[in-house]
Amino acid sequence: MLWRIWAPQAPGVSRGSDRFLNTIAEASRKPLFPRGPALGLKFLLFAALSIALMVADTHGERLQPLRQWASWALQPVLWAADLPREVAELAQHFRSRESLIAENEKLKRQQLELQGRLLRMESLEAENERIRALLASATTLDRRVLIAEILAIDQDPYRHQIVLNKGSRDGVYKGQALVDAGGILGQVIQVNPSTSVALLITDPDHGIPVEVNRTGLQTVALGRGDGQALSLPYLPGNADVKVGDLLVSSGLGGRFPAGYPVATVHELRHPAGESFMEAIAYPTARLDQGRQALLVWNERPPPAAELAPQPPPVAQAKAKAKPRSPARAKETSREPRR
Amino acid sequence: MSRGGSFFMLVVSLAAALVLQLVELPDAVAALRPLWLAMTLGYWALSSTSQPILPLAWLTGLCCDVLYDAPLGQHALGLVTVVYAVRKLRGTLIVFPLWQATLLLAPVWALYVFLMFWIDGLSDHPADLAARWLPLLTTTLLWPLAATLLSGLSARRSHRRAVLP
Repeated sequence: MLWRIWAPQAPGVSRGSDRFLNTIAEASRKPLFPRGPALGLKFLLFAALSIALMVADTHGERLQPLRQWASWALQPVLWAADLPREVAELAQHFRSRESLIAENEKLKRQQLELQGRLLRMESLEAENERIRALLASATTLDRRVLIAEILAIDQDPYRHQIVLNKGSRDGVYKGQALVDAGGILGQVIQVNPSTSVALLITDPDHGIPVEVNRTGLQTVALGRGDGQALSLPYLPGNADVKVGDLLVSSGLGGRFPAGYPVATVHELRHPAGESFMEAIAYPTARLDQGRQALLVWNERPPPAAELAPQPPPVAQAKAKAKPRSPARAKETSREPRR
Repeated sequence: MSRGGSFFMLVVSLAAALVLQLVELPDAVAALRPLWLAMTLGYWALSSTSQPILPLAWLTGLCCDVLYDAPLGQHALGLVTVVYAVRKLRGTLIVFPLWQATLLLAPVWALYVFLMFWIDGLSDHPADLAARWLPLLTTTLLWPLAATLLSGLSARRSHRRAVLP
């Protein structure tokens, strides 16, 4: 190695360094210790900087502008990572005429069917409106929605997040609910100018207030973190819950719109010695299949709740009811990180 | 002159690694995704001493944090550690044949995986321990291939630059 370090190089032989009787120009002379003693120091500097950033980032919102700016600048990387899917979709342009016709037929039938249901729904809605007017309540069923495309970006496999192609330019706000054809998918946790990141309901950080559709029993569904199931840990031992029950969002806490399907109960567990029952439920939304999702505007986007998230009443009640695990109950009311 | 050329290669390979880190994989193999960024930075830390790898590793790590929506600095810390470790081991690594270097580098990737796991734990992100270690396996297996490919690419490029005026 050494001979190479001192070997004279063609480009800058003997330029202005005659007085050292050295034929190598200063510019092309390489340092004798290429690693340098400063490496450890530099490493420590960068490591300290990273740790300081991490602490600042997890304890406050001060780095949000930096993060948003950076994610705007990194947009090309996202597009590049999404390219393979775009190419795969190009292939779909060359589909046979028959399959298109068949699909068209199917869609027409489906549309007719839905139209029929919609007619019924309109009368129900009118009825609902009248009844709600009697109750002096301000909720309505139809809401502003926006279709967002899910970018084919794999996030960290240990976090259940997706990236959407709509951002603050389209009016997306933090905490906005995300649904698909089957039910509630999750909520927006990070809004960038033209993309946003949503947390799925299966993430262990996520809790959603639900009610059992059949009985109206209120509880909280937490993500289990395995990407498939939700868990309902705060059910009283004698609660009227059956396998197959539909869970719908209860709208408590003001973040999710009420009445959307969330999950169906798959299994009931009675842990020995516990006075609580746990239910395992599978989401009705197709969390890992769709390409599109619907952003739903809540009829009263809670600005106060955005700034200082209030624990939903359910979570508070459950925290009181189950003092043995206050930390987990608090988790449900906590806004997902950032 | 050749420094400029290999700096270009360095930046291009880092960008490619960042994209590879994000490209969607089928669910079955998603947990096996190799540590592309750590591997690329490891290669450059090993092969060239004149590049500012440490600051680049830090910046790339920050980009990765932003894209993953992780705490800012998590991947930056991991990648800086990888570069530092590879630089420290460089004297040994360059005299070893490729397969021995591959084995010697496995603990470096393990260190990176452990750091990520640890910080995830600190920031309240429960992690599946078994799936965590899978990238270690694929990274080690892919290292000889990646190192050969990168050195081939950069050698070709510097050769072309030397031939052309």
